[in-house]
Amino acid sequence: MRSLISTLPGRVGTVLAVALLVAWSLGPIYWSLVTSLTPPLNLLGAPSLWPQQITFEHYAKLFGATSMSQGNAVQSVWPQFSAALANSLITSILATVVTVAIAAFGAYAFVRLEFPGRDLLFVAVVATLAIPAYTVMIPLYRLMISLKLIDTYTGITLIYVSAFLPLALWLMRSVYQAMPISLEEAAWLDGAGRIYTLVYIVLPLAAPGLIASAILTFLNAWGQFMVPLVFSPTLATKPLTVLIPEFVTRNYIDFGLMNASGILAIIPPVLLVLFLNRYLVSGLMAGATK
Amino acid sequence: MATVDIRRLVKRYGAEEVIHGIDLSIRDGEFISLIGASGCGKSTLLRMIAGLEDISGGTIAIDGREVNDVAPKNRDIAMVFQNYALYPHLSVADNMGFSLKLRDVPKAEIVRAVREAADLLGLTPYLDRMPKALSGGQRQRVAMGRAIVRKPRVFLFDEPLSNLDAKLRVQMRTEIKALQRRLGTTSIYVTHDQIEAMTMSDRIVILNGGRVEQIGAPLDVYDRPANLFVATFIGSPAMNLIKATARRDGDRLFAETDDGLRLPLADHPVTEGAPVTVGVRPEHLNFVSGDTAGALPFAIDLIEPTGHETHVFGRFGRHQVVVIHSERVAETSSAFVAIAPGGVHLFDRATGQRIERS
Repeated sequence: MRSLISTLPGRVGTVLAVALLVAWSLGPIYWSLVTSLTPPLNLLGAPSLWPQQITFEHYAKLFGATSMSQGNAVQSVWPQFSAALANSLITSILATVVTVAIAAFGAYAFVRLEFPGRDLLFVAVVATLAIPAYTVMIPLYRLMISLKLIDTYTGITLIYVSAFLPLALWLMRSVYQAMPISLEEAAWLDGAGRIYTLVYIVLPLAAPGLIASAILTFLNAWGQFMVPLVFSPTLATKPLTVLIPEFVTRNYIDFGLMNASGILAIIPPVLLVLFLNRYLVSGLMAGATK
Repeated sequence: MATVDIRRLVKRYGAEEVIHGIDLSIRDGEFISLIGASGCGKSTLLRMIAGLEDISGGTIAIDGREVNDVAPKNRDIAMVFQNYALYPHLSVADNMGFSLKLRDVPKAEIVRAVREAADLLGLTPYLDRMPKALSGGQRQRVAMGRAIVRKPRVFLFDEPLSNLDAKLRVQMRTEIKALQRRLGTTSIYVTHDQIEAMTMSDRIVILNGGRVEQIGAPLDVYDRPANLFVATFIGSPAMNLIKATARRDGDRLFAETDDGLRLPLADHPVTEGAPVTVGVRPEHLNFVSGDTAGALPFAIDLIEPTGHETHVFGRFGRHQVVVIHSERVAETSSAFVAIAPGGVHLFDRATGQRIERS
């Protein structure tokens, strides 16, 4: 009886804290979902927690050939939306693949190869994480113009890789540091070279770390706004994050459409994390315990 | 199968020298143990033979060919690691066949070689298992199997049994020895366990601080330790050491302690007044009656029965001594003890070196 009384406030506290955290993180998404299902006219009244009337017209605007807007038949935004979705997927996947590949090999070199200035170089690479992206935006823009890489997948991918590689390198380095070197030594004595050992012995064991790096990089790339806003001026490479705010026009802010596309835009990263999240945790924990 | 010749081998980490010019010739098919306390350089020496550590000076030759600059994979050496180092993502069969696969051995040949090794080690039922589904002893056997399938010229063992429990260790010790006899492969075995070294080896190498203290057959080392370090390192409980001075009374030679205790010496070539250390193994001290010639009064402090023998801790005057008695000992506070004939080891106290009887 006594223990129940003494733990009760604790439990209530925990429940409250969890509820607050869930509301904090899921609240905006729920709000967005409700908005995307509410008819435009109802959006102008007092906000409600539950839509009085459910409509799919915003989604229809995204997917249909034509749709009704303010009583007029208008062209749907599907061509733009699908192009931007493809751009988001392509740039994020490219950035992820390149970043993880470089981190997998680069971090191994930082851990197992001895070369002068190794640790200094690593610190320098990681230190770039502390530089705000805005400070390099203008020089980077000049650089990209002279390389003719504005509005190209190559350009965007290069920028993403340079931005996300330090974190992936850092993570992979701790993954490799946690691995016993005797496995590699055994492989060398068995007759394997360095690259063979890395690819067939080390990388399979580092899979959780690789997946964690991949998820982090993908999520980072998917959510990018500033970089594509500057470097992806047209639908050739423009991703969803930049397209969606453009549904704000001079005369009308299409809240419903924006929120409907927002809801669709979070589906790929949500799926990714749902399926791979157990690797995310074990990968991030690498090196934390022996 | 091969000989291994180590000449003036030196290892430095930066300015610090950890191995100081070791010479060692290992014969074809020999089982040799490197033994010493942690930090004595035994593992470093083994890793230098494997090619996992650079050589700072001197040479290592396998079968007469210098291998200083030969990569580990080209030395044709197999190593069993302390933590087994099994590839966790490969099955037992793939672990054992890994080296053959790298050498482009035909698949059927690999299967045959793996099966043969598995039969030898009793691993056949486990070939499809992953390492994490095996017990410690089975993992140890897989590590052995991985070493033997490719028939290397030399086996290296880096404390392979230290992660096993005591009972399994004894069993694997016998298995490894029997396997080595059968295969006849030159083997170098690093251990800190003197029982392993004594029971398994043709010769043992006692290392201390990066130097060889003694090389010899196990019983030779036990019976004639070259110096005080070896005398105390090999044998458990350790040899009793008593500081004394050499004295001569007519033609009788003895060592006299500073509290007047006289220990008889044989025909040791020592000069009168030389500072010496007398060593006596605990099993060479026998309980006798007080009127026996050479009987020394022994004050008993503690009696430890181990079952098959009894360790009796006590003192000769001020000198701590342990006696091993093959029979059970009744609780008592004092007794007389005599040194068995030939049971005295004499060491020069200044150099620590053994003084052999003339």
